[in-house]
Amino acid sequence: MTEVAIQRDVLFDNDAAAAANRARFRAAGTYVLNLMSGPGSGKTTLLERTAERLRGRVRLGVIVGDIQTRRDADRIGRHGVAVHQVNTGGGCHLDARMVAAALDVMDPADFDVLIVENVGNLVCPAEFDLGEHDKAMILSVTEGADKPAKYPLMFHESRLMILGKVDLLPYVDFDPDAAVADARALNPALAVLRLSSKTGEGLDDWADWLLQRMRQFRDGR
Amino acid sequence: MHEVAVAQRIVEALVDTAGRHGGGRVRIARLDLGALTCVDPESLTFAFDVGCRGTCAEGCRLEITRLPLVLRCFACGDEGPRDGPVDPCPRCKAIGGEVRQGRELRLTTLELDEASQAEGVA
Ligand SMILES: Nc1nc2c(ncn2[C@@H]2O[C@H](COP(=O)(O)OP(=O)(O)OP(=O)(O)O)[C@@H](O)[C@H]2O)c(=O)[nH]1
Ligand SMILES: [Mg+2]
Ligand SMILES: [Zn+2]
Repeated sequence: MTEVAIQRDVLFDNDAAAAANRARFRAAGTYVLNLMSGPGSGKTTLLERTAERLRGRVRLGVIVGDIQTRRDADRIGRHGVAVHQVNTGGGCHLDARMVAAALDVMDPADFDVLIVENVGNLVCPAEFDLGEHDKAMILSVTEGADKPAKYPLMFHESRLMILGKVDLLPYVDFDPDAAVADARALNPALAVLRLSSKTGEGLDDWADWLLQRMRQFRDGR
Repeated sequence: MHEVAVAQRIVEALVDTAGRHGGGRVRIARLDLGALTCVDPESLTFAFDVGCRGTCAEGCRLEITRLPLVLRCFACGDEGPRDGPVDPCPRCKAIGGEVRQGRELRLTTLELDEASQAEGVA
């Protein structure tokens, strides 16, 4: 037998596809955010609210990944934004090639901000670079404050953590300070905001954060 | 959870590498797997065995080396293995550190049969 040293990153192909996406976004001047969370944490609901809020202010496009159905795309599309559904057919995350294929339909040049709603999964999506500029995640208060310690990777990779469904705080034992402390132990630079898509709390902060990141991206930061 | 997808990528890499080294069979593939990756070794091995069928890596053994999480303490700079990412630093008890090891998902070496002596699956 012969030994061959290869030292090859298994996700090498994905990283190459992500780099190509990123170059395309830069050429088009489009800021791209990868929005992740566990299943049902409120990604689609937040994007519905976001579409309403940003209407007429920026050109927003959404690519939404789900294992099956185009329900999330239909929900978001009702709010007057361009949306494209990707079905992974069993896959537990989006990868860079799926996003590249979606860009044949959603030309980045048509948007100032493109948000990719990843498949609902607190584990896998964090592992796959899509070519986005930032990752953001939602941890809803019904999920438990132990999640950063148990599923660290997403917290480690995100620039922003949204504490979601804070309208439900009175009904659940969720210690926001403990969750934030653990998340920042993994990622000291992590920005945090509290949000409820139901009451509207935090939606202004979220829109401000998004628009600020878009401007920083344009200024080359 | 995405062990099948990861296994497919590994098989692709094996087939590709074997092809560029004379087209023999792949007998052993060695993989570094960091503790922070979301990949379960047992499911990966299973998905890998299935994924290798019908390729030049059929019957190949996947040797997985689990790399523990290594953090560099944000507070005192102490670097060393930790059981979990929010475990306190053994030196100063502070929580939190830079990930120095644990994100690896990397093929390191392969053992190939020479094409001339390639026969049935071991
Ligand atoms: N109370 C409350 N419920 C919310 C809030 N945001 C979302 N929900 C509810 O949570 C459920 C899931 O919301 P979705 O927006 O579909 O969640 P998602 O993250 O897109 O789900 P997947 O795409 O399936 O992972 C729905 O019943 C929403 O109405 C919130 O801020 N407060
Ligand atoms: Mg959704
Ligand atoms: Zn220390």
